[in-house]
Amino acid sequence: MENFFKPRLLLGIVLANIIGLGIIYINTYFNSQKDGILIFSEFVIIPLLMGIICAWFWKDLGLRGWPMTGYAVLAGLLAILLSFFILGEGVICLLIVSPLILGFVITGVFIGRAMFKKKNQTVNVSFVGILLIFFVVDSLSDHHYANMVSDQIIIKATPDEVWKHVVAFEKIKQDNNYWLFKFGMPSPMETSVTAKKLGAGRKCIFSNGYVFDEKIVVFDVNRDLTFDIVKQPQDPEIMGHIDIDRGQFLLTDNSDGTTTLTGNSWYKLYVFPTWYYDLWAESITRNVHFRVMEHIKVLSEVK
Amino acid sequence: MFSFVVKRLGFLKSIPLLAIVYDCLIKLWILLTNPRLLGWIDELEETVLLLPNTNISLHQYGGLQFNYKNKEFAHCHSNGILDVLFNLKIKQDLMEHGKIQPHHVFEHSGWISFYIKTTEDVNYAKDLLVLAYQRSVKFE
Repeated sequence: MENFFKPRLLLGIVLANIIGLGIIYINTYFNSQKDGILIFSEFVIIPLLMGIICAWFWKDLGLRGWPMTGYAVLAGLLAILLSFFILGEGVICLLIVSPLILGFVITGVFIGRAMFKKKNQTVNVSFVGILLIFFVVDSLSDHHYANMVSDQIIIKATPDEVWKHVVAFEKIKQDNNYWLFKFGMPSPMETSVTAKKLGAGRKCIFSNGYVFDEKIVVFDVNRDLTFDIVKQPQDPEIMGHIDIDRGQFLLTDNSDGTTTLTGNSWYKLYVFPTWYYDLWAESITRNVHFRVMEHIKVLSEVK
Repeated sequence: MFSFVVKRLGFLKSIPLLAIVYDCLIKLWILLTNPRLLGWIDELEETVLLLPNTNISLHQYGGLQFNYKNKEFAHCHSNGILDVLFNLKIKQDLMEHGKIQPHHVFEHSGWISFYIKTTEDVNYAKDLLVLAYQRSVKFE
């Protein structure tokens, strides 16, 4: 604990954050990417560099692994806190990003400790140089990622009964089971339509009051309801990070009095690396699907 | 989980830094769930660094590596698995005590794995490290 009051320790944490945020600011200012795109480097290379900067300031403090991990976490938490106040990120977003930031800051600190122990300046400069080259190349590259998520459930009702509740449905009363919804992430609550026909407007209302404005583009009664999202809600949790482009419900008659309901969603991600964020996007989309489809199942199966 | 990743996803360790990042994520998890373990690994570090001609480095597959004259004789992953290099004869003798296990990947080599779970385990881990160090000194 006595280390905590050593100026070099705090200096490492503070300067690593100033440099990290500075690089993000400069990158955003000069970047040709679409507004709001956050690239791989910002979540991987900058935290690594921040860790290495911390390690450089801490190299003579004789820190062992446990305190070093703890202080690295403090540096990462400060970065997350600054992202909330300066970059205006939402709480759930930051919760999702935190393992990535903290993991790479810790990695940077331990790589830095190994680098500065060896005192081989050529290797050290080369390693940091390679990270910076990665950063520049990644910043100048185009970033596009689109995905589709599909889920199915079987409902013990005929397609015409299910269809009544697919087009629009009243408020969902079931409790949320998904941990992110329980944690405050908005969940779907209600859907309304201006008319039950092709071209009609549809609104999907979420628990925090945000609304997805939609337009029905396929209206094949008892078979296919497809809608394009024409206006995304201005929710800081998703704004600029993901666009939901299209949603679809397909009804398949199983000829035994049951219907297979398929929910499809198409989205674009603007946060990278997608190997990390798409795991979350898929998980959230699936849970949105299942919350809605389970509700439709309950409504359709009421005798 | 660790064993699943090592056995099923071990091929990914050739990706630069990936194993080290994975070990650091384990470190983060251990910090939140069992921080004493990180303290115990620090104790091992202190024990080894008191021995002449030793140093520590970052293990290529994540964790803390213990070296004698810059040559590895043991490493400890952040989840408390201590891997120590002996020969097959010493490994066999130690196995009879019932505390150690064959290495979690190289089962038929002279490497052994010891899982640190309690304060008593830390003392045994220190004994293993000193024994491996003495062997390194003898055969340098």
